[in-house]
Amino acid sequence: MDSALIPEGVKRCSPKAFFFWTLPWLALLLWGGVSAALCLLKGLNQTNMSDYFAFALWIVFDLAIIALGAGAFFTGFLTYIIGRKELKDIINAAVIIGFICYSGAVAMLGIDIGQPIRGWFIFWHVNVHSMLAEVSFCITCYLGVLLIEYIPLILENPQIEKVKPLRLFGQNLHGIMAIFAATGTFLSFFHQGSLGGLYGVMYARPFAFREGFYVWPWTFFLFILSAIAAGPSFTILCTKLAQAITRKRLVPDKAFQTLAKISGSLLGVYIILKIADTLGWIYGITPAAGLAFMDYFKEGPYGVWLLVLEIGVFGIIPAIILLTPSARKSEGWLITGCLMNCTGIVLNRFTFTIVTLAIPVMPFDEFMSYLPTWQEWGISLAVIGYGFLLFSLSYRYLPVFPKERELNPVVE
Amino acid sequence: MKLDRRNFIKLMVGGAVGLQVTPLPWKITDDIAIWTQNWPWVPVPAEGAYDHEASVCSLCPGGCGIEVRKVDERAVKVEGREDYPINPGGLCPLGMGSLQLLYNEDIRFTGPMKRVGPRGAGVFQNISWDEALEILSGRVNVLRRDSRPEAVAAIDGNPVESTASLLIQRLMQTIGSPNYLRVPSFEDTDRMVNLLMQGVDGPVAYDLENADFILSFGCGLLEGWGAPGRILGLWGKWHDRENKRKPTVVQVESRASNTASKADQWVAAAPGTEAALALGIAHVIIKDGLYDREFIEQKTFGFHPWNAADWKEHQGFQGLVLSEYSPRKVQDITGVPAERIVSLARSFAKAKAPIAIWGKGKGDLNGSLYESMCVHSLNALVGNINKPGGVLVLDRLPLKQLPETPLDPIAEAGLKKTPVGAAAGEDSPFAANLLTRFNEALSAGGPSPVELLMVFGANPAFTMPDGGSMRRALKAVPFIVSFSPFRDETAFMADLVLPDHMAFEKWSEIIQPRGVQYPLYGLGKPVVKPLYQTQDAGETILKLARRLDKAAPEAFPWKTFEDIMAYRAEGLFEAGAGLVRYKPAQPPWSWKPFAEPAAGFKSSKDMWQKIKASGLWYQPLDHQRAAMTTFKTPSGQFEFYSTRLEMKLKDLNKAPSSDLVCMPHYAPSSPPSDSSRYPLAMVPYDMVNLVSSWLPNPPFLNKTLLPEQLLKDASYAEIHPDTAKAYGLKQDDLVQVESVAGEVRVRVCLFEGAMPGVVYLPFGLGHTAYDEFSRNKGVNPNDIIAAGADPLSGLPVWWKTPVQLNKV
Amino acid sequence: MVIDLDKCTGCGTCMVACSAENNVSVRPDESDPQRRLTWMRLYKVTNGKPFPETEVSYFPRPCMQCDHHTPCVSVCPATATEMDYETGIVSQIYTRCIGCRYCMAACPYHARVFNWWDGYFPKSKGMTRYLSPEVSPRMRGVVEKCTFCHHRLMRARTKAYAEDRRELEEGEYITACTEACPAQAITFGDLNNPDHQVANLIKSPYAFRLLEKLGTEPKVYYLSSKDWVRKLGDNFLPGQFEPVTKVKMG
Repeated sequence: MDSALIPEGVKRCSPKAFFFWTLPWLALLLWGGVSAALCLLKGLNQTNMSDYFAFALWIVFDLAIIALGAGAFFTGFLTYIIGRKELKDIINAAVIIGFICYSGAVAMLGIDIGQPIRGWFIFWHVNVHSMLAEVSFCITCYLGVLLIEYIPLILENPQIEKVKPLRLFGQNLHGIMAIFAATGTFLSFFHQGSLGGLYGVMYARPFAFREGFYVWPWTFFLFILSAIAAGPSFTILCTKLAQAITRKRLVPDKAFQTLAKISGSLLGVYIILKIADTLGWIYGITPAAGLAFMDYFKEGPYGVWLLVLEIGVFGIIPAIILLTPSARKSEGWLITGCLMNCTGIVLNRFTFTIVTLAIPVMPFDEFMSYLPTWQEWGISLAVIGYGFLLFSLSYRYLPVFPKERELNPVVE
Repeated sequence: MKLDRRNFIKLMVGGAVGLQVTPLPWKITDDIAIWTQNWPWVPVPAEGAYDHEASVCSLCPGGCGIEVRKVDERAVKVEGREDYPINPGGLCPLGMGSLQLLYNEDIRFTGPMKRVGPRGAGVFQNISWDEALEILSGRVNVLRRDSRPEAVAAIDGNPVESTASLLIQRLMQTIGSPNYLRVPSFEDTDRMVNLLMQGVDGPVAYDLENADFILSFGCGLLEGWGAPGRILGLWGKWHDRENKRKPTVVQVESRASNTASKADQWVAAAPGTEAALALGIAHVIIKDGLYDREFIEQKTFGFHPWNAADWKEHQGFQGLVLSEYSPRKVQDITGVPAERIVSLARSFAKAKAPIAIWGKGKGDLNGSLYESMCVHSLNALVGNINKPGGVLVLDRLPLKQLPETPLDPIAEAGLKKTPVGAAAGEDSPFAANLLTRFNEALSAGGPSPVELLMVFGANPAFTMPDGGSMRRALKAVPFIVSFSPFRDETAFMADLVLPDHMAFEKWSEIIQPRGVQYPLYGLGKPVVKPLYQTQDAGETILKLARRLDKAAPEAFPWKTFEDIMAYRAEGLFEAGAGLVRYKPAQPPWSWKPFAEPAAGFKSSKDMWQKIKASGLWYQPLDHQRAAMTTFKTPSGQFEFYSTRLEMKLKDLNKAPSSDLVCMPHYAPSSPPSDSSRYPLAMVPYDMVNLVSSWLPNPPFLNKTLLPEQLLKDASYAEIHPDTAKAYGLKQDDLVQVESVAGEVRVRVCLFEGAMPGVVYLPFGLGHTAYDEFSRNKGVNPNDIIAAGADPLSGLPVWWKTPVQLNKV
Repeated sequence: MVIDLDKCTGCGTCMVACSAENNVSVRPDESDPQRRLTWMRLYKVTNGKPFPETEVSYFPRPCMQCDHHTPCVSVCPATATEMDYETGIVSQIYTRCIGCRYCMAACPYHARVFNWWDGYFPKSKGMTRYLSPEVSPRMRGVVEKCTFCHHRLMRARTKAYAEDRRELEEGEYITACTEACPAQAITFGDLNNPDHQVANLIKSPYAFRLLEKLGTEPKVYYLSSKDWVRKLGDNFLPGQFEPVTKVKMG
């Protein structure tokens, strides 16, 4: 039964080994399931979120994985619209990673809101001025696009392929993938941007507020840029991880190099703009609010070092690594560069979410601390478990890596 | 078609897809969204006819005018009344949250009960009123038959002179027991000051409305002192942007309380040295000749040296103050710089209508008698007595006296017995019964002299500042009867509970709200029908009296409790004056001629009906002028040296050991305990947003507590950062505050406004009874107060306890 | 609304009155300032001086009812909160709120609170008996906030219409906290009506608003004659704060 589902010409581990491999991820899912049930039944008092930390671990996680999942739309864009053929070898992986990130994020959001059953009110009673409405619309639509991008791959499973109408449907979908890639790109640009806008528009929170262009604050554009800079890096990392775990070469090096180069260049551009933005914020918005730059860091554990770390250590350095051909050709440096790039972006999302809320705006307000509960960790980690599981299943049963057979000839 | 696995899957998948094109998923989505908007466990308050009822709040001796908003028979909100002279429309937090005391069933007794669980556990069983009264009257009758009526004791927390209080005293007389005890309150100190210096055994009246300089010795003006509605309202008026006559307020207190902070000046004298500061100020006033010569010469006694009939030489107040209380000396005692004392004295004396006031914190507890006398002597020095903005000497409300209680031989004999713990003498010549001594006697061990203790309108197990002595005493009493409407700490110790109505279910009087300077009688009405099988304690006493052997019936000729209130109010009618309607434009505290004549009432009945409707009877100051001219001391003058006290002591064969006994003076409070063991002082403080009286705290008030006052179940001690540093303590550290009487565990709150070397704990936390809203939240400072006895009054010294801090 | 901090004694009656008026749920533990429900919150501030010059004061903080583009209204994805341009009141529709809490993140005053729990009204206590039918109790998972006692406006209007009036008199509609304040520190009225006392009060040199620099345009003003209190009303760069030196009376 199991072997019949495995794509032809590739080698997979035994069902037993695979079963044991999934166990930790299933455990994470179980943990997440229990946490989710508690949160849904008893309410959000199960978390350590509060009136001060209205957004917390989940939102950081959400933003981070959505940014990292940007590899999907951006690789799609490069592959189908720009026509970088070498990326066809990695596009499936990118799509799956994207799908995992986005579906995981949406599921988390479903638990994060206080009235999940009424979540659809966002669409029904939409307030078009709200960045969050924009985010919701785009993410929901884009999740649909990702699903459409994912479906042809599913349909390539040897057993499903046997059903003729489904096979034909899959092939047709393949044919028009460019349209979806374009749609996805458009949607993604918007929601990545809106996520940035989410913070940038909070004009009463000087730590997050940014001036901008038309209705979009600068964070709108910076978030897009940072997402497309980090997304490909994350795709590389995930694929490299898959390679390490399967002990196979799955993707030709060229695809990695292309992605790394693009990632590096975009990161370079992003960092330059981010520095400009930060300077503008320090010398514009901050004094206008009656604050000196260091006032933000008077209390609590979040110091200016976070900013140094984000821009300097995890911004400039990975950009240099990824832009240096000799460095990115070395496996170690490539992975280091990508890892640092992704860390930088997670740090950025963390800062915007947690530090923004942690810093008191009223002079007499106090600094509050926040530590997530096990329920919050459970749900966050469940997304990781879910990711590993879905990716493993996809890898096992679907021809995710078109070049796998070529790179790993089965030795009889 | 065969239903094999394949077809089954097809069917399911097909069905699932098919359903999506039907309206069903949308309908369900919509329906469950609507369900979330109407969750059955979210209460829907019942609609009904809106109404409001004007009444008077009787939850504290301040007596604010209230208006209760009702929906049908439900009271839904308490609001302030604008047609009542005490509070200009606002209320205090307790009054505002009081419906939570009415409607929280978990903190109330729903009917008469007897104890079935162990004492203190609060496990009771319902019984009938008949059975309850039978048990109680049976026990009293047995004791009387054994000619031991003195084994009955009563603790009374009702306001002084209230009908409820008089009735309890009458009951005790009829039974024949001298063991009637009052819970100490500031009223006691006030009355004693009034009696010794002015000769009137009545409340002290402060004309704050017309004062232009208020020198407050530790009064928690903004913490609930006096009638809180009046003082807070005044505070607002004083700070009106248009008000050009804002008085200067100076607060003497060791901690930056709300009053100290909001006052114009804060004088941080070491706790317990206020008397010295007052005399230091007196020193400057006398030395600089700033005192009111006319008043001193004509209307005071004991200022100058004099020779008594026995040719004994007396130094006089002037001599005492000039020799003992120079600013330099006072600086050493109080820590207040001498220059500050001088400037304070000068600005006080030069003000047009300066008034010095006393009464610590809210005034729920007594103060120090000598200290209060020291403060009041400042008023005499500047001659501001019976003048606008000063202290007024008022008669008691002209309420009719109850007829003499007829006594049977058993009662007569019983009343002659020595009260439990009595020790009248130089240390407390005017107090026959002191609750602290009563407790000491009971908890001394051996068979309890009291077999039956009744507790009315009080929760002494929580409120007595005695290091737990009251609780030990309760344990020693074989049978305790509680009349409390609430499941409080004292009621938890009771064997029988005869629950009173909650204030909103009955008629209740406010007889001369604390500190108010014009005669005022307030009457709170039942705004809702009684919710449970409770009974007005007054009615219960009447019913009990009818079940007592022989003695009782003729002593209680009234049918209902209201009849007695109406009977006493006849006195108001006979006084031939008074108004029952208040107009904000014509305040009774104005010294201008009062335009409106006293209302004419057809009969006392007519007047009573009108009082019941409006909730008040009052007389404007203008109608009082004649009454406030004379001092009723033996000398007929204001006495710096109390001749009444001297005579009293001589009667007791305890002639004063020195002149000081009869004069205001400073003596260090509380016996100096081992200062190396207890180097710090614990000073408890009051908060207006926390109930520290016998009543429970409405849960809404918990919302008003600051994060540095309560964290989960731990309350905080305010400590100066330097003190904390010396003990290696940081904010939020757990620490044990230890005194001779015991220890409590609290968290540390670093506060710059705390005097170094002092540990401040708030009153009102640390309940062990009631429900989850109050129980085990924080600690009660009373538990560690090592109560010494205040000289002369014998009342507990609670304001300063030597303690040690131990880091946990 | 104008709150005179010189008059405010920090007694907390406003908080209690607000909770009683608006059926705000009380839980056994109310000691967590991050999670307790209160529409009006009292902040204690100190002047930071050493003993015995220390002084405390209080900031009662209702919803500021920001004008123009309110930080919270524009961010709500589900249009569950709106600013009424006629009354200036920022409303909250509990039954539409999905509980995303974006509004709370956007509000710098912490004026919005979230129902982390179901309302606490245990049957055994019978404390639902004091609930007012004028304000619906909230379900868990939604944001609630001060509405300037909007139902009182409705009540006053209904009364006025019944008496065939279209305009409300000054003082006919006031919030529960205004009414309850024993020191009358709160004045309520129409800022746009020059005859109303509030319109006059805000002309005082002592008048200020919280975080004015952020451009939220609060409709709640504070008055304080103390420089250190006014200075706590906003963030100031060194030298930016201007103490009031000359006061014109009147």
